[in-house]
Amino acid sequence: MSQSLRPYLATVRASLQAALCLQDFSSQLVERHNRPEIEAQKTVEAILNPMMISRNENERILIETSVNSIRLSLKIKQVDDIETILVSKFTRFLMSRAENFFILRRVPVQGYDISFLITNFNTEVLIKEKLVDFIIEFMEDVDKEISEMKLFINARARFIAEAYLTPFD
Amino acid sequence: MLQLQNDNLLLKKTLTELVATPQLVDRIISDFDYTTFHLSTPEDKSKLLVSITSKSFKDIKQYDAINKLNQTYAEFQTEIVEPGYDYSIYVDLLSVAAKSPEDIELTINEISLLKRNLLAIPFKLAFKSYQEQAIKYDQSGIEPEPSSEIYEINYRDEEAIYIKPSFDRVTVIFSTVFKDETDKIFGKVFLQEFVDARKRAVQNAPQVLYSHKEPPLEVRNLIKYQADDKKGYVTFVLFPRHLTVQKQDNTINHIQLFRNYFHYHIKCSKAYMHSRMRFRVNQYLKVLNRAKPENEEVARKTASGRRFNSA
Amino acid sequence: MDINTLALSVSSSIEAIIKTPACLLRSCFSTCKSSKAVFVSWSTKSDVKDPPGMANLPKVLVASLMISTSAEGIRNRSGTGLTKLGFAGNDSPSFIFPTAIATRSSTSSKAATTGFASASASSQSNFLASKRGTEDLDFFIGDEAIDAANTQAYSLSYPIKHGQIENWDHMERFWENSIFKYLRTEPEDHYFLLTEPPLNPPENRENTAEIMFESFNCAGLYIAVQAVLALAASWTSSKVQDRSLTGTVIDSGDGVTHVIPVAEGYVIGSAIKNIPIAGRDITLFIQSLLRDRGEADTSLRTAEKIKQEFCYVVPDIVKEFSKFDREPEKFAQYIVETTRGPNKVVDVGYERFLAPEIFFNPEIASSDFLTPLPTVVDQVIQATPIDVRKGLYRNIVLSGGSTMFKDFGRRLQRDIKTIVNDRISASEQLSHGTKSSGVQVEVISHRRQRNAVWFGGSLLAQTSEFKSYCYTKQDYEELGPGIVRNFSLFNIPK
Repeated sequence: MSQSLRPYLATVRASLQAALCLQDFSSQLVERHNRPEIEAQKTVEAILNPMMISRNENERILIETSVNSIRLSLKIKQVDDIETILVSKFTRFLMSRAENFFILRRVPVQGYDISFLITNFNTEVLIKEKLVDFIIEFMEDVDKEISEMKLFINARARFIAEAYLTPFD
Repeated sequence: MLQLQNDNLLLKKTLTELVATPQLVDRIISDFDYTTFHLSTPEDKSKLLVSITSKSFKDIKQYDAINKLNQTYAEFQTEIVEPGYDYSIYVDLLSVAAKSPEDIELTINEISLLKRNLLAIPFKLAFKSYQEQAIKYDQSGIEPEPSSEIYEINYRDEEAIYIKPSFDRVTVIFSTVFKDETDKIFGKVFLQEFVDARKRAVQNAPQVLYSHKEPPLEVRNLIKYQADDKKGYVTFVLFPRHLTVQKQDNTINHIQLFRNYFHYHIKCSKAYMHSRMRFRVNQYLKVLNRAKPENEEVARKTASGRRFNSA
Repeated sequence: MDINTLALSVSSSIEAIIKTPACLLRSCFSTCKSSKAVFVSWSTKSDVKDPPGMANLPKVLVASLMISTSAEGIRNRSGTGLTKLGFAGNDSPSFIFPTAIATRSSTSSKAATTGFASASASSQSNFLASKRGTEDLDFFIGDEAIDAANTQAYSLSYPIKHGQIENWDHMERFWENSIFKYLRTEPEDHYFLLTEPPLNPPENRENTAEIMFESFNCAGLYIAVQAVLALAASWTSSKVQDRSLTGTVIDSGDGVTHVIPVAEGYVIGSAIKNIPIAGRDITLFIQSLLRDRGEADTSLRTAEKIKQEFCYVVPDIVKEFSKFDREPEKFAQYIVETTRGPNKVVDVGYERFLAPEIFFNPEIASSDFLTPLPTVVDQVIQATPIDVRKGLYRNIVLSGGSTMFKDFGRRLQRDIKTIVNDRISASEQLSHGTKSSGVQVEVISHRRQRNAVWFGGSLLAQTSEFKSYCYTKQDYEELGPGIVRNFSLFNIPK
C-alpha cells in the first residue's frame, strides 16, 4: 500500500463510521412513506452537509449524509484511455448486478464512477463495522484490479502480436 | 484457439459428408468479411454447385479473377454463375468419390480454400510484380522509379486492403475502423504491440507501422481517402525473405486473416475481462455478506456447564 | 438522537481528521449538495454519425445465425445438452454437438480458469499468470472437447446444467469458439437468434445480452422461446391453415418430455408439465426386451438403431399382437455389422410397437410414472385459462426426435379426442339436453419434427422483418441489458 493510500483509507473509514449513525425517519411530506432522505432531497432539515475526501485530483470520495441514509460516491483513479474504459466497464458490470449488492446504487452520482446508498434499514440488519470494511476493501481493491487488468491487456497484446508475426518467418 | 484457419471448416465438413453420401442439399455457409457460400444440387444429388459471393469480389474481378480461379479449379469449371453469387464451381461428387482417399482429401481441401484463393489473387499479382522489378534492379542496378501500381481491395464496408509492390518490398496496408469504443482502445494497445514486437522479439517478421487518420505516405497519393478520425492504417512491410517462392503461400495465408485475427483476439480479451469481473463480483459479495449477522444458535449451557436437552 | 447531534458527531470527527498532521490530505467540505467536480462521464456511445448498424449490413441472405442450446439441456437427463448452430434459411443445423467445453486442467492454469484464485492470495502470482495469460485461449468445445478430455491435460465441463447456464465463463468461451471457429463469422456483421427454454429467468437473458453485445459486438440479437419456435415450425405442415402462435407443444427429446401451452406467442408457465418418459426410456425398454429374449447383441447402440428403424405406433396393441401371430413377416431382423467376425443377427419382434407404447401405457415400462401422455396433455390444457383452451386443443404440435414414430400423432389425437368427448358427453348429461358444439382436437405432425425448434427459428430469421424484431447494439448501449427482457413477437405473415 502506497504512502498516501493508508491515511486516505483511514480518513474514509473514520468518516464513514461517524456518518453511519442512521435512524428510522418517516417522510415529512407524504404520510406513511419512508424514503431515503438523501435521495429524496426534499426535507432540508433531514439532510446534513456532504463532505468530500480527496486523495488527489483523480481519486476522491463524496459522502452525503442524511438522517436515515447516506450516499457515498467514489471516483476511481484513471490516468489514461485504457483505465477509463476499464473502470467504466467494471463499474457498469458491478452496477448491473446491484440486485445482489444491496447497498450498491444502480447509477452513480454525476461526476463519480460508482455510488453506494446505505439506509437505516441496511444498518438495522447488517453489521455496521463490516459494511465499512466492505467499502474500504472495495476502494483498496478496485485500483489493484484495474491495474491488473491493464497489465493483462498489455501482456495479451504482446503475446498476440508475437504469435501473429512469428509464423511469417 | 490461437490462430484462425484459412479453410472453411463447415464447407469442408459438408463436402466430406456429401462425397461419402450424396444427397439433395440447399445450404448456406458463411465466412468472414461478408462472404457467403451456397451449396446446391440443381440437377441431381451427385452434382454439387458451390457458389461464392464476397464483398471483395468486385475489386478482385479486375485482376482477372475468374480466369485465375478457373485455373485453380479447372476440374470443376463451369459456365454457370448462380444469380446473386460471384463465382461458381460445379463438382461431380461421384468422380470425386472415385479418387483415392488422399486425393479426395486434397480436393476437398482445395474447395474449402475457395475464399482464401480468391483473396490471394491480388497478393499473387503484387508478388509477381515485385519479382519482376527486383530482377530488373538486379540486372541494371538502377532503382526503378516508384510506380503507381497498387492493388486495392475493399473487403468490408469501411475497410480496405492496399497492396503496393516495389523492387525491394511489398507493402500491405489495412485500413481499420472500430465501431465500438472499447474495441478502439483495446485495438490501440494491440496495435502498439504489433509495432513493437518486431523490435523486441521477432526480428525476422515484417515491419509493422501504424498511422492514425492519414494513410501512410506510400499510398497517400494513390488512393482516394478522406482524413477520418476514426480510421487507422496498419502497414505491413514484407521483405524479400517473406516473398520467396517457398514462403509466398504462407505469407498470403497469414496476412489475409490479419483483420479477423486482430478482432477475434480483441473479443477474446473482452471475454476474459468478463470472467475476471465475474470473479471479482463474487469476491466482493463474499466480503459484503460478512456484514450479515450470523443467526447461529449458540449452545446454551447452565451455570454448572450442563446442556439443555431438547426432549 | 435528533438531527442536530448527528450533524455534530459527523463534523467533529472530520475536524479531528483534518487536525491530524499525518494525513497529508486535502479534505474538503463542499457546502452545496452537488459537488462542483469536473464531470467525467464515459459513454460507450461514439458520437459519430454512424448510420445505424443495419444499413451497414450485407444484403446477403445470411443475416442471422442461430445458436440453439438449453432445450436439450433439460431434455437430457445428464444435463449435458446439445448445441445446434447454423444459418437462417438452411433446413437443418450446420453443427450439432454436445454443449461441452474442455479446459486445461494442469494446476498452474487452474487458477486462471477457475477464477484467478491466486489474485486475491497474492497479486504477484496473478501477475505472472496473466503475463503468460493465454490459458483462456486453450480450450476445445463440442466433440473436440470430448476427445480432448480423454487426454490428461484437459478436463471436461458442461456449462449448461438442467437447461440453465451455470458457468457463464465457460459459456462465453463456448460461444466465442462457436462463432469464430465453427461458423466463421464476424459477429459484428450478423444478427443472432438464440433460443431459451420456457421459464428462463430474465437475468439469464440479460447476462446473455451482455456477452453478445459487449464481448462480441454482435449486430443484433433476438432471444426466442423454444416452444414458440416449435409452433412456427409446424407451419410447414399442410394441415395448418392459419399460422397462429397458439398451440400446445409436445417436446420430447432424449431425457424428458415437456408439454407446453402457448397462447398467442406467450408461454403459459403455470400449466407446463414434464413427463420423465422420453427417448432414452424407449431405448432402455427395447434393450431390456432384447435381453429377456437373449438376443445375440443387446448393446444400447443396437437398441437405439432398432428404435429408429423399426418402431411405430399402433391403435390397439392386442390386435397388433394377434396380427403378429398371423403374419410372421411382421417380425423383422436387424443385422449388426461388426468389424471383426461375422455379422450378428437380431430378431425384432413385438418391441416394434410396444416400445413407443410406453408413452400411452407407461405402466409397461415404468413403475413410478403412470399417467399416459394424452391424459397429461389434457390436464395441461385444462389448467390454462378457459378462453384459450379451444385453440390449444386445435393445434397440438410435435417436436423432438422421440415424436417421430409413425402414426404417433394419429394415436395421440385419437386418445385425446376420446378424453375430451367423454368429458363433453358427461357434461351434456349433467346439463339435461344442452348440446355442445364440440371441441376440435388436432395433432400436427410434420417433416421437420426432429429439429423443430431450430427449423422454426431458421424460418422466422430469414424473413425480411426479422431484423426489425431484434435489438441492435445501439439499442443495447442506449437502454442497457434490461431491454432483452421483452422481445416483440413475430408478426404472422399471412
